[in-house]
Amino acid sequence: MRAAFVLAILLVPPVPANGAARPAYGGEIRVLVSSAPRVVDPALAINSSDLMLVRALHSLPLEIDGEGHLSPGLLEEVPVPEAAGRAFRLLLRSGLRFADGTPLGAADVAASLGRLLSSGSAHAWVALPILGADAFLDGRALVLPGVEVLSDRELLVTLAFPMPEWPFALAAPTAAVVSRGGEGAGPFRLKTLDGSGARLEVNPFHWRGRAFADRLLLKGADARAAARALSRGEADLVQRPEAFAGARSCPPTPPLLVTVAVLNPRRLGSETDHVRNVIQSIDRAELARRFARGPSAPMETLVPPALLPAPGPNPRPVPAGDGARPVRLALLALADAPDQRAVAGRLQVKLFDAGLRASAEVEGPSRFAARFGAEDYDVALVAVPVLSLAPSLAAGQVALATRGPMVARRVLAEMAGLSQDAAFARAEELTRALDLVPLFATGERNSAGPGLEGLRVFADGGFDPGELWRLEGENR
Amino acid sequence: MAAPPLVLAILLAAPAGAPPPALSAVAEGLGQALGPPANGRRGMALLVEARAGALVGPAEAALSDSLAHLGYSVTPSRGGPEAESTARAAGQDWLLRVQAGLVPGRREVALVGELIPTWDSFFLQRQAGARARAPRLVQARGPADPETLSLGREERPPGSPFARIRTLSRISGRVLALAIGDAGDGPAIAAVTPDAVLLLSTTGREVARREPDRSGWQRIRDPAAMVALGDFGGGRLAVEQAGAPQAEVLARNGDRLEVVATLPAAPVCAAEGGVRLFGAFAPGEGLLLDELTPSVDPEARPRSDRHLFGVSAAPQGGPIAFAALDSSLALTLLGPDLKPAGPPIPGVGVGFALADLHGDGTAEVVASSTRTDGTDRVRVIAPFAEQPVVLESPPLTGAILAAAGGDVTGDGVDDAVLALVSRESDGSPVTDLLLVTADPRELP
Repeated sequence: MRAAFVLAILLVPPVPANGAARPAYGGEIRVLVSSAPRVVDPALAINSSDLMLVRALHSLPLEIDGEGHLSPGLLEEVPVPEAAGRAFRLLLRSGLRFADGTPLGAADVAASLGRLLSSGSAHAWVALPILGADAFLDGRALVLPGVEVLSDRELLVTLAFPMPEWPFALAAPTAAVVSRGGEGAGPFRLKTLDGSGARLEVNPFHWRGRAFADRLLLKGADARAAARALSRGEADLVQRPEAFAGARSCPPTPPLLVTVAVLNPRRLGSETDHVRNVIQSIDRAELARRFARGPSAPMETLVPPALLPAPGPNPRPVPAGDGARPVRLALLALADAPDQRAVAGRLQVKLFDAGLRASAEVEGPSRFAARFGAEDYDVALVAVPVLSLAPSLAAGQVALATRGPMVARRVLAEMAGLSQDAAFARAEELTRALDLVPLFATGERNSAGPGLEGLRVFADGGFDPGELWRLEGENR
Repeated sequence: MAAPPLVLAILLAAPAGAPPPALSAVAEGLGQALGPPANGRRGMALLVEARAGALVGPAEAALSDSLAHLGYSVTPSRGGPEAESTARAAGQDWLLRVQAGLVPGRREVALVGELIPTWDSFFLQRQAGARARAPRLVQARGPADPETLSLGREERPPGSPFARIRTLSRISGRVLALAIGDAGDGPAIAAVTPDAVLLLSTTGREVARREPDRSGWQRIRDPAAMVALGDFGGGRLAVEQAGAPQAEVLARNGDRLEVVATLPAAPVCAAEGGVRLFGAFAPGEGLLLDELTPSVDPEARPRSDRHLFGVSAAPQGGPIAFAALDSSLALTLLGPDLKPAGPPIPGVGVGFALADLHGDGTAEVVASSTRTDGTDRVRVIAPFAEQPVVLESPPLTGAILAAAGGDVTGDGVDDAVLALVSRESDGSPVTDLLLVTADPRELP
C-alpha cells in the first residue's frame, strides 16, 4: 500500500541486525511509559501505555513489518482479497494456543471481531466494514453475518463494501484474539496489575516461540523519574515524548496520535463556520512545535500526514475573518493529557483575539467522556491514537472517536480503496463535513539503556516486547 | 623459520631415509604410469621440484626407489633450468622432471612428471639439443598421510600475515551452524539454515541437501542448530535444530541427504579420532544446557544453570580440545577430559571455532566480536600467547553467527570457516562463508 510505503520511507530508519551476540534468554526487561497501564482488554485500550500492555499480552492475526508491509501473525499468510475486495479467507497457523494452554481457533477470531462491536469498545472501526455490523450494533442481529467460521482454522470474512486494504485492520493491536476467559496469546501473560504498573511473565505457548526475557515490567513514570531510572540503570527502555540525555536513542514512534478540534454545530449554530475559520487560521506547525513534546507534524485532514501526505504544498492558513462577535464558547479538553491542556490554552488566546471568548474546561477522563457523549461542549479537543496504516481505516477510527459508529462506517466506505490523491481529497471533504479541525499528530521517543537489544520499531510505532533482551556487562 | 614442533616430531619419528608411506605409494603409481625402460635405455636423471622445499628430498627418494625397482638407473639431478642439457652431457637416456605438491582442498599428494629423452639421435646430430622423440607426461596422485601433508606444506612468504580471510561462497538464508570434516567421500562442510541442511564441498559448492518437515516442531524465536561431521554410525552428518523432536543422522545419496538414524541428544561437535560431544537444547530455547557428554547419555544432567550458545572441538585435539561459550559471552576452554584448560576468555562472539591454524598442536580460537551495531570482526586468539589477539579483521557488514574448524585447503592443517550473515537488498538473509586460513598457498 502506497501510504504505508510513504510512512516507511519517512519514519522508519533501517534497523541494524543484531551483531554477533545472539539473544540471551532470561531476566527481566523494565519499561517505563507515560502512565501506569490499566487496561488489558484490546477492545478498550486507548492510551499508549495500555496499548503497549495489550501488545505484550496479545497476538494479532497479522503484523506490520519494519517497512510497513503486512506479514503473517496468527494467520498463516496475509489474506488475498476475493470478490473484488469484499471477502477475505483467514487461515490460522496450526497448533496455536492461548497463554493458559487452551487451543486458539477460528471461532476465537470470530468472537474477538464481534466483541469489538460491543458497547464500550473504542475500536469498532476494525469490524465496522464487516457485513451486518450495523445490524449487530443496533442489536438487530446477535451474530455477525459477515463472519463465517469454516473450520477450526479457517474463517471467511465478508465486508459490506469493497475494501481491499481491510487486512491492515487485522494488524492493529485492538484486533488481537482474546479467549472467552479473557486470556491472550501474546509473548507474555499477566502476573499482577496494580496502580504502579503491570508485571508479566513469559508465555511458553507463543506462536513465535517463547520471549527472550522471562519477565516484563511496565511502569508509569514522569519525565524526571524516567531520566533518573535510566541514568541509574533501573530501566531498560523509556517510551515518552521527551528525549533523555545520555540514553541510547532508538527509532521514535511515528506521529500517529492525532489531535483534532471537534466543533459542535448544534450549539455553535451559525457561528460554526466562523469558529472553524478561527481555529484553522492558527499556524498548526507552530502549534505542534511549541506544544507537542514528542515528534510531531501539523495535520491537514483527519488522517495523519504520515499516512496521507498532502499531494502539494500545504495550503495557506485560512484568514480568521473580521468582525468580532460576542460569543462565549466552552472549550473542552482532557485533564491527563498535558499537550492538550497547553493547546487548549493557546486556542483560548487565539479565539479571544478573534472576538470569541472561550473558557477552557479541562475534565478528567470519565467526565470528559460523559460531556463529549452528551455534546456538552462547543469545541472539544480529542486525541485519537491511529492504529492502522491504511488511510481509510485511520479516517474511520478518527470518525468513530469523534462522531460515532454509523458516521465512521460511512467514512470507511467512502475512503475504501481510493488512490492516494483521491483519498486526500476525500479526507479533506470528510474533515469539513464532520466539523473537525485537525491540528497535529505526535509520536513518542524510545530511549534505551545501554544493554537493551532487540528493539525493532514497526512502521505503526509498535514493537514486539518478546524480542527484547539484555546484553550483559562488559559486552555492551 | 623454524619447523613447527608437530612437523619436527613427525620427521623424528619416521625411519631414517624412508619416505612417508603415502609418498611412496604415489611414487609407485608414477612408476607404474611410466613403465619399465624401453629398448634398454635405463639411464635416468631425476629432477624433483616442489613449492614446498621439504617435500623435494623425500619425493626424490621415493621416486628413486620406485624407478630403480622398474630397472632404471637413477641419478638425482640438481640442474634446474639446465637439467636437460646437463643430463644430455652426462650421457643419460632420460630426464624425468617431476613437480610434487598437495592437491588443493583434497588432502592428496600429486606427482606430475615430464619424461624427456636425452640420448643423441643419429638422425638429428646436426641439431644440437634436438630430442629423439617427443616428451611424455605421466602423473599419479593419492591420499596424503599426516607426514606427507607436513612435508607438503609450503613455506610462509616472508612478512605474510598470520592468516588470510577470504570469501568461500554465498548461501541464501541465515546459516545457523557449521561443521567441517570427512563426510564419507572426503572433506566437506555442513551448513544448517532454518529451512535446510546442506552438504558443501570444500570450495563451498552445494553437493547435497535435506529440507526437513518442520510440522510438529516447537517454535523457537531465535532459530538455532547443532551440526557435526564425524562417525555417527550409519551416517557421518548429525544435526539437530532447536525445537525438533530429536537429532538426525544423515547420509548422502546423490544430491540428497537422507535420514539413516535418529539420536536422543544433540550432536554438539566432533573431531578426528572419533571424538564427539553430545548435549541438549534448553526447552523452548535456541541455547544449550550446560550438559556435555562424550556419548549419548539419557541420564546426563546439567552441570550448572548457565546456558551455552555453542561448543566447538579442536579438529585434531590438543591441550585445548573443546571450548564452550555461555550466555554471558565468556568462552571456557576445556581439555580432552572436559576440565578447564585455561582461564575463560571474556567478550567472545557467538560465531567461534577452535582451529590449529599454524599446526603447532594447540588450537587457536577464531571468533567474532560481541558488537551489535550491524558490523562484525574476525579475531584469531591464541589463548596461551603473551599477546593473545594475533589477528583482527577490518569491520565486516553483517554478523558472524556460526563457525567451524577443520582442514579446508587440503594442506593438513586446520582452517576455519565462518558464517557472516547479512541482508540482501530485498531484506532476505544471506550468508557469506568466510575462510580463515594460514595455508601459505593462500597467503599474499
